[in-house]
Amino acid sequence: MSYVELHARSAFSFLEGASVPEELIAAALQLQMPAMALLDRDGVYGAPRFHLSAKKNDLKAHLGAEITVQFHNSQFAIPQFQCAIPVLVKNRQGYQNLCRLITLMKMRVPKHAKPGECVVSAEELAAHAAGLICLTGSFDGPVATVLNQRDPDNEKKAQKILEWLIELFGKKNVYAELQRHFDREEEARNHLVIELARRNHLPLLATNGVCYAMSVRREVADVFTCIRNHVRLETAGRLLAQNSERYLKSAATMQKLFADLPEAIANTVELSSRLKFTLEDLGYEFPKYPVPHGETMTSYLRKLTEEGARSRYTGKRGMPTYERARPQIERELKLIEKLKLEGYFLIVWDIVRFCREAGILVQGRGSAANSAVCYSLGITAVDPIGMDLLFERFLSEERGEWPDIDLDLPSGDQREKAIQYVYSRYGKLGAAMTANVITYRGRSAAREVGKALDFDEETLSRLASLVHTWEWKDPNDSSERQFRDAGLDLHQPRIRKFFQLYQLVQDLPRHLGQHSGGMVICQGQLDSIVPLEPAAMPGRVVVQWDKEDCADLGLIKVDLLGLGMMAVLEDSIKLIRDSYGEEVDLAHLPPNDQGVYEALQKADTIGMFQVESRAQMSCLPRLRPACFYDIVVQVAIIRPGPIVGNMVHPYLKRRQGREPVIYAHKALEPILKRTLGVPLFQEQLLRMAMDCAGFTGGEAEELRRAFGFKRSEARMKAIEVKLRQGLTRKGITGKTQEEIVLAISSFALYGFPESHAASFALLAYASAYLKCNYLTAFTAAMLNNQPMGFYQPFTLIKDAQRHGLRVLPIDITCSDWLCTIEKEGEVPVLRLGLRYVKGLSQQSGQAIVRARAVRDFAGIDDLRNRVPELRKDEMRKLAAVGALNFIQAAAGPTIKGRKAKTHRRDALWQVERVTRAAGELYEELLEQDGNSPLQQMSLTERIDADFRGTGLTIGKHPVAYHRPELNKLKALRAIDIHKLRNGTFVRVAGWVIARQRPGTAKGFMFMTLEDETGVSNIIVTPDLFNQYRLELVGHSFLLIEGALQNQDNVISVKASHVQPLSLVTATAPSHDFH
Amino acid sequence: MFACIHGQISADLSLREFAYNFSPTIEETRPGTVVIDVDGCELLFGSAYQLANEVTLRAARPRVQGGLESTVSVAIAANPDAAIHAATRLKGVTFVSPGEELTCLGEFPIDHLDPSLVNVEKEIADETLETLKLWGVRTFADFALLPVAGVSERLGQVGVKLQQLAAGKIERHLKIEQPAPVFSNSIQLDHPIAELEPLSFIFNPLLNQLCAALNAYALATNELCVEMQLEDRTVYQRRLTLPYPMRDHKVFLKLLLLDTEMHPPQAAVRSVSIACEPVKPRVLQNGLFVPLAPAPDKLELTLARLAKLVGEQNIGSPTLLDTHRPDAFNMKHFTLTTDSDSRKRKKKSNRQSAIGRQCLGFRMFRPPLRALVQVEQGRPAQISAWGRQRSVYGKVVKLSGPWRTTGDWWRDNSWARDEWDVMVEQRSKQQSLYRIYRELDTEAWFVEGNYD
Repeated sequence: MSYVELHARSAFSFLEGASVPEELIAAALQLQMPAMALLDRDGVYGAPRFHLSAKKNDLKAHLGAEITVQFHNSQFAIPQFQCAIPVLVKNRQGYQNLCRLITLMKMRVPKHAKPGECVVSAEELAAHAAGLICLTGSFDGPVATVLNQRDPDNEKKAQKILEWLIELFGKKNVYAELQRHFDREEEARNHLVIELARRNHLPLLATNGVCYAMSVRREVADVFTCIRNHVRLETAGRLLAQNSERYLKSAATMQKLFADLPEAIANTVELSSRLKFTLEDLGYEFPKYPVPHGETMTSYLRKLTEEGARSRYTGKRGMPTYERARPQIERELKLIEKLKLEGYFLIVWDIVRFCREAGILVQGRGSAANSAVCYSLGITAVDPIGMDLLFERFLSEERGEWPDIDLDLPSGDQREKAIQYVYSRYGKLGAAMTANVITYRGRSAAREVGKALDFDEETLSRLASLVHTWEWKDPNDSSERQFRDAGLDLHQPRIRKFFQLYQLVQDLPRHLGQHSGGMVICQGQLDSIVPLEPAAMPGRVVVQWDKEDCADLGLIKVDLLGLGMMAVLEDSIKLIRDSYGEEVDLAHLPPNDQGVYEALQKADTIGMFQVESRAQMSCLPRLRPACFYDIVVQVAIIRPGPIVGNMVHPYLKRRQGREPVIYAHKALEPILKRTLGVPLFQEQLLRMAMDCAGFTGGEAEELRRAFGFKRSEARMKAIEVKLRQGLTRKGITGKTQEEIVLAISSFALYGFPESHAASFALLAYASAYLKCNYLTAFTAAMLNNQPMGFYQPFTLIKDAQRHGLRVLPIDITCSDWLCTIEKEGEVPVLRLGLRYVKGLSQQSGQAIVRARAVRDFAGIDDLRNRVPELRKDEMRKLAAVGALNFIQAAAGPTIKGRKAKTHRRDALWQVERVTRAAGELYEELLEQDGNSPLQQMSLTERIDADFRGTGLTIGKHPVAYHRPELNKLKALRAIDIHKLRNGTFVRVAGWVIARQRPGTAKGFMFMTLEDETGVSNIIVTPDLFNQYRLELVGHSFLLIEGALQNQDNVISVKASHVQPLSLVTATAPSHDFH
Repeated sequence: MFACIHGQISADLSLREFAYNFSPTIEETRPGTVVIDVDGCELLFGSAYQLANEVTLRAARPRVQGGLESTVSVAIAANPDAAIHAATRLKGVTFVSPGEELTCLGEFPIDHLDPSLVNVEKEIADETLETLKLWGVRTFADFALLPVAGVSERLGQVGVKLQQLAAGKIERHLKIEQPAPVFSNSIQLDHPIAELEPLSFIFNPLLNQLCAALNAYALATNELCVEMQLEDRTVYQRRLTLPYPMRDHKVFLKLLLLDTEMHPPQAAVRSVSIACEPVKPRVLQNGLFVPLAPAPDKLELTLARLAKLVGEQNIGSPTLLDTHRPDAFNMKHFTLTTDSDSRKRKKKSNRQSAIGRQCLGFRMFRPPLRALVQVEQGRPAQISAWGRQRSVYGKVVKLSGPWRTTGDWWRDNSWARDEWDVMVEQRSKQQSLYRIYRELDTEAWFVEGNYD
């Protein structure tokens, strides 16, 4: 006799289940179960993964949920109580009702509602009962909850509640659920349930109330119980499970358990056959775009595309002509119409149109840039025809997936405007953000498990610190070694148990977050497709599924991503307009700006998008970009794909003419010609499969996905066979075939789409252009959008100063909240904004600017009186960083007709007076003049105050003040080492501005030191890193000794000795990439 | 004039006791810093400067000669705080001339200013010091030389106080502490005592004195700590916890003797020391119509006698532990319940019985009987178990189970067992209901008890 488990929770019940859906399905498969149902608590979070995993394994996946219902006092004559009613979805109506019911429950309480607040009423359940099948539940079900009451009439009340359930769901849709976990009380309750079922002619249904796939996971379930109840294992007592029986059991085991009630087992199969709904039958429709009268979506899209294409494909400045673009556009439009995607394109166009009209900078990224239709509609900025990009990477008929259009928007308020536009356009229940499932990983897992095991705070910190933060993981860095280094003995049972549990909880869902930009839109009500819930951020709604789940189930989404550089570009354009009186159009930047390419070739790229990292900088002088396509290559080449696939060096050597350009096969020449015979882009991989193995566009994309991140052995093998067959058919055999297969299989994992690289290269060029031509505006915009990019504001300012920018200090008489541009004669200079005063709230900063706009401040007293928002500590901070010096000077006494010299301490002295009310009695007695008895700050004190108060200094670089000492130590300046020969033994010293230990660098660490003349790059070998770990990681100023490496003007020092320096007391923190 | 003695001395020595050698008027400002009022000491030690030298000399002496075996700094000043600052900052003997405080203290870093001397709260003091640092005030002199009105205007009275402190101008009295009452007595024996009876003659006077001291302060104790140095150079320690505060030395003596009898020292005793933690005595008003309960001290004695007979672990009130572990309980010290407690309990039991749940009484076999069980199709069929007092054997005619409990998996003593409720028919055809269980890790069977 067969058995189907119809009541199982996964870890998506958040702390009430201990196995992920895939694990449950794998166990069901092993037990040869034909179907299984997932009933998570108040949600269908795990449903897509459960469904897809079941589908992959030919299992039937039933869905449902345990719904928390609250009954009032008047119902069933019992005091108010809550219980969990398990419901199974019978048909699509049932699924829609379930989603709406859960949405109703979730949307009326805030994101972090207390347990017990997130409930539905009996009436609400009644209104959504159609299409659902109800089980009487286990220990927390409605019948058990009533039977557990200490009430002599509890049986009568249980009968009443059962009658109510029958009335609600219909007699055929209520099953008396029986579970047997070898528990006396449960069995006593089962007897009563059987009696009630017989009395009401209800079918019995055996389930196991599964909480984990295998019994070993009971320990995780117990730990989760502790986390949920904020207790330790030692004190949890009877909150913990009585035994480990809630695992997925085989048909034989269940039959044995229910040997006296065979019908309870048989009914599971019968009920399973009644549950027709699966997620295949989701009923999702993408919203239709409202088109003008007389138009269809198809005609309207055609019209818009044609209009766009005519204006964009002008044939001018090297652009293709409309006639040349037309066949490709036509091909794309036909496919779009065939796949009924017109609405999607129109909706994305509409968002882009809104952004343009609202003055929000927007640009499509990713594979959408392969589409000429997207380009014509203004969604993307890269011309796929001019750049010969492959459309199939974006959309293909065979793939059966929705296309993915990602829109880059300026991060912050502007992006929020676009998101709120989508909400307002499609309704709160018509659009929602995709979720981001936060899982137990690293430190969070270590802390929570450690707490449950009752480790003290010190041990918890040590355990959490064991979790490696660097991207690179030393192969010798075994867990045992890590534990031993932290002084923890893995042979000790409690530590060993911690280690086991720590591994078991890895990747289990912890809570639901919000994806940064993915939005799902639906025709009609999205809450009937997937339950919605509020996000932590006000005004945001999220679906219960993450981005991958939505994509897997065919929910179309638009990614509205915030990009710091977009905000910088937008702000730069505004600043240029306001200060230079010039209009910069990003779409029409001069294509071959000499300054841009010179800067790129010299790797003078601090602040430039995508090309500012240490690795990019070390590659730029070798690649020496000379045209836009070189920037595209530059953006794509420093990626794990080319690095792991050993493509970087061959490409650079071929570019420098040190290696001949050869092709594995002549058929590859047209594909790889642009990249000198080295595959760098995903599109090339697809073309290789298409041209050399006869794959269609869709098949090639399928190949890329098979070898991509979600690789499965079986799928890879199957497609590799097909690839080899295709290659053989085309006469490519032997070594050449092997080479091609190897290139495709190793590259598919990390490859970067050319279209995406081209979109990013546009932004890189734009940022480089603005930096080279409008340094003041660009630097101001960069500073106003921090934190972003690779470098700290201090480094950005020092770099701009080295390029001749004059930076003015924060001054309360003229600084705005943001950094602004002032004119000194005709020369634009940068004025630092009040936002850089650490600890000054935006509210206070803006209040200062508002008050100043009315009239200038007459003194610190006046400032205090007119800006009541300013707190005492804020005034102190302003005075300490010198922002009040000028107000003092303006208001202070004059000596021989000149304003008396004022300094920060004068301001501090006055601030203390004005912030403390003396009272009327003493008003006359106390001093009124601004003279202070305090000494002026010394130079070191000023730098110290600058770093502490603003995180930067506009004066000389801190290292410059210590140059005499560094000279004694024979440390060279960054600028000096450029003149030395390769192999020279040098000493350099400076402030560490970045540390990196990338996963692809085999344990090497890369550091950037900055001094008053620029930056020097340091390479630290794994051995040296282990030797000087503390110095390298923990000190801000370092003296490095080592051999100079000068390869093609890429200068670096291979460190052989490290010495920490104590130069000044305060600095800005370095930017460490782990 | 005031002399401040400052030094790092070992934990078992008291700087305060040392300072009492010079003057009865002392203030222990903090551990390691003591201030003496030297006025009136001239006849004994000469001038203040001579006294300071004497202090340093004596401090360097070995402890057997009343010294501290340590170097201390001594500073003499016209006010205690200037002396404290000077002694804590400067080594050796320092004489701060009256009116010249700033000459001596002026160069001290401002971080060394101790705001607690003028009772300024730490938070306010930290904020003030932070402001001073912002002002570039680095030393006591920098601070002292700021205009008082300016400081008062900006930092308020706290600022002024601190400024005076920095200038060495604060005048105040010493905070003199009375020596704390001692609630411990000890005796060094001439000859080691190996038997209990003579020991009672040692305990008696010690407890007598202790109770007299408690009486004098109208206090009692609920804990006696006994420490004995033994001949084998080990230390014997016992702690007697009493349910109520008491101060009857006779009861203490009996309790102590019973305890020592139960836990005799391993070797002969060389010294005895008894201490207690003083607490407020218990005040109890008995009701007129409340039946008399045994007096707490007598009850305690009876319990101690019983504990001696049956062992400490086996006496008290059992309390159930919050766990699924079967038969998990611990023994709590028996205490008399008050009237209201018993009323509450009665009410609860009445309510429970009103629910009318039928329960079978269960008698535990302690320890459980090891059993041989014949299993058929995974179920017990025949049982034989013999113990000293009882035996169970027969055919299982009816059963229910298994009831499985497993837990404490994170500990060494985890458990896992299957329980069965079985009806056993003996040869005499008499049927009895038992609970048997099998330990899952050892596969061993036991009879846990029978149902009434």
